[in-house]
Amino acid sequence: MSTLLEAKNVTKVYAKAQYPSLNKVSLSIMEGEFIAIMGASGSGKTTLLNVLSTIDTPTSGSITINGVNLKSLTDSGAADFRRDNLGFIFQEYLLLDSLTIFENIAVPLTLQKFSPKKIENMIRSLAETFGIDSQLDKYPSELSGGQRQRASALRAIVKRPSILFADEPTGALDSSSATDLLNTLKESNARLHTTIMMITHDAYAASFADRIMIFKDGCIIQELFKQNANRRAFYESIAREVAKLDTER
Amino acid sequence: MNHLSTALKNLKNNFSFYALYLLSISFVITIYFAFTSFSMNKVMLEKISGNGRVETMCNTISIFLMAFVIFYMSYSNRFFLRRRTKELGIYALLGYRKSTILSLLTAENLLSCFGAFAIGIFLGGLFHKGIVFGITKLLNLTVNNSEIPFFNLNAMIKTACFVFAIIIILAVSNSRFLFKSSLMDLVRFEKSPEKQTKFHAVPAIIGFVSVISGYGIALDIFRGRKSIWFTVGFYFVGMVTLVLILFGTVLFIASFLPYAVQTGKKNKNTFYTETKIITSPNFIYRMHSNSKTLIMLTLLSAATLTVSSVMALTLYYPIAALSRIAPSEIECRIENENDIPKITEIINRYSGEDDITFLQTDIYKVTSTADQLPMEYSIGTSKGDADNEKILRNMGFDCISYSDYTAILKAQGRQKILKQFPTLSNNECIFVRYQPASGKDETGCTYPLVINNLEIPVTVTMTTLNNPISFANSVGTLVISDDLYHMITENAVPETKVLSINGNSITGNEELFQALSEYLNESPYLQGNSHRVHEVVSLNSSTFLLIGFLVVLFFIATGSILYFNNISAIADSKSDYDILMKMGYTGRKIKKIIRKQAITFFSIPFLFGLADCIFATLVYKTALMQNLLKNSIILYFPTILAIMLTLIIYLIYYCMTVHTCCKMILKK
Repeated sequence: MSTLLEAKNVTKVYAKAQYPSLNKVSLSIMEGEFIAIMGASGSGKTTLLNVLSTIDTPTSGSITINGVNLKSLTDSGAADFRRDNLGFIFQEYLLLDSLTIFENIAVPLTLQKFSPKKIENMIRSLAETFGIDSQLDKYPSELSGGQRQRASALRAIVKRPSILFADEPTGALDSSSATDLLNTLKESNARLHTTIMMITHDAYAASFADRIMIFKDGCIIQELFKQNANRRAFYESIAREVAKLDTER
Repeated sequence: MNHLSTALKNLKNNFSFYALYLLSISFVITIYFAFTSFSMNKVMLEKISGNGRVETMCNTISIFLMAFVIFYMSYSNRFFLRRRTKELGIYALLGYRKSTILSLLTAENLLSCFGAFAIGIFLGGLFHKGIVFGITKLLNLTVNNSEIPFFNLNAMIKTACFVFAIIIILAVSNSRFLFKSSLMDLVRFEKSPEKQTKFHAVPAIIGFVSVISGYGIALDIFRGRKSIWFTVGFYFVGMVTLVLILFGTVLFIASFLPYAVQTGKKNKNTFYTETKIITSPNFIYRMHSNSKTLIMLTLLSAATLTVSSVMALTLYYPIAALSRIAPSEIECRIENENDIPKITEIINRYSGEDDITFLQTDIYKVTSTADQLPMEYSIGTSKGDADNEKILRNMGFDCISYSDYTAILKAQGRQKILKQFPTLSNNECIFVRYQPASGKDETGCTYPLVINNLEIPVTVTMTTLNNPISFANSVGTLVISDDLYHMITENAVPETKVLSINGNSITGNEELFQALSEYLNESPYLQGNSHRVHEVVSLNSSTFLLIGFLVVLFFIATGSILYFNNISAIADSKSDYDILMKMGYTGRKIKKIIRKQAITFFSIPFLFGLADCIFATLVYKTALMQNLLKNSIILYFPTILAIMLTLIIYLIYYCMTVHTCCKMILKK
């Protein structure tokens, strides 16, 4: 496995903020990895996702994805980079209300200039795996939260991004829908070798990942590896670490 | 903290938000105050018309203006209220009663209207002065400016009362909105999805067919006497056409357009492009709430464009036709040879220049024995077919010599057209038509002229619309060779002697014309080109200025509503654009989407208005206007000008809208 993403000494200080949101963070993500970033609110998880995914720019430090230094990208270069390499899932689903589910999923593929036939084939072939094959002609407002998030996940994965960023994807879902989505993500990771970086505060969601980075005050304070442990054992170890952190706070 | 101080604090803290509202209501109050000041300006009204015509016009227009101001302010109020719904929901969550929220909104409206009133009074005063200046210059009036106050007290009181009435109307409208909405509606207003547009082929097809049928019936007028406009009747066919187009427009926008866009989505190759995949579904999705506004704007735009086009044509056509009705600067009949030196003396009194030509034309009435004679031969000879039944003419051709004809045209400065006239032999003639021929003209026809009891046939070698003498003095003019003309003069007396006076130094001299009119006892045969132009302009300009004022106002209203509508749509879908940017849409592509969405909403009212205007103008021109001029594109110049002006106004609003929308979305 080769390195897909490498961040070195990434710092982000917002104007008027007393402390940096990210403080010299260094990390690397290998191709095909499923990583979860955990931490309390305000620890810098979402800031990290934003700077790694070109949505925001770091104050200092360097980030390389697929050998491309993000610093060298212009605004339009960054947009093209997102189009060709990155996928996103957000807590609020971020589906376009005016487009049907099918059209929502087709947008990134259209942007990559795939032929209409290929777009159709790509969406239909994955829709069943994501459990939304019968919902494709509906509008987002006609779907449940879980279905919307699965549509959002399919939209992110269908274009086979180099890396998928998921920001609290289960935050607005009930436990059953959350499990469905996490299983789908895990399956995509296993079957399609999609590299996933997921932000979550939920130990259960994090247990689906292979590696956990725990954030505090803008720094990575701990890393946990699943290795050969089963998901239940891994979940228990994550929960223990999180509880430990809570008592230290 | 009472409502007034809360409202004041709200206004202060959200100044940029309220500035737009303040600006929009200041604009309408400016217009209202300027117009009210003008309609109460006794000095100007007396100068423009002494018979109360303009006052009546002003009163009529003020009703339209009031309706417009109420509509515009209600629209702006609703627009800003919609953007604040969530804030109002939070007030309600915090325990504010709806009556308390209503008081707060009314207090804010009171403060905004007070500010707008102050701005409107000042700008309206300036605008009123501008209108006065424009009219005095245009109509060449002498006005003592000190008699016209900058702030007309009566107009101020009327405007204040009207603004107060509007505040009450807005309060009623706000109360209806607040009391009809539940707490959940208020809090989740922005999140509530649009109602889905249902696609039905039948109303879509009916809408399309209605519009096309309406336009088809309008075009039928070109079939002339055979058209249903003549066979069935103008009133009935006009009403049917209007209903078809109105009904068709409603269905076309509400059903056909979404249906067509939805059908267009099936063409995958064109649909799967980075902009179309966003704009087409967006158009359909927003159609439900936007169709009413679009229909209203389309009808407003069509009415405004049609009125402006017809108005421009109504003013321009009589002036253009004056080149035929009164081709010479001054022309009169010589009833007595002694009149000539006296007329010359009057002319010299008013002009010291030697550029004036006096040409006397003796017109001989010659009858013909032909079976088929043109209508010009007998027009105006009996009661019922003459414009002025007091001055009936004798039947026959008005014969003038080729030399006289060319000399008058030359004196009138029409040298260029002389080249097209062939020299005439004794059996040839040029026939001057009254109206352009709708089919085959008289070229090649032979008319036996009765001269000295002999029948001398002359053949028409060409027909022309370049009459040298006004229709008051000659209709059915036949230009014959000089030799044939001399043959007529040997044994006959002229029917009419006409004196044509031309020269740059007397052009536009109204005092000279009045002096001649006085000398000739206001003879109906005294005609003057500049005098008639002056008459047409001064008779109609006040009417046209007032209608023009209303037209500009409606254009601005349409543009402003489109502006607010687009801004509102963009503000509502800001999060959608954030999603697109996260997906990899560049700023340029986002701008392209915004431009496409805006152009769709701007082009529907404009293109529909344009089509309605073109067809209505064609019907008006063909059916209702007497045609003295050849059908030429130049005749439609004022219509084209009116359309171009509309296009410019739309373009300005479009650019403003796109600029603001892009700024809202792409602002970092």
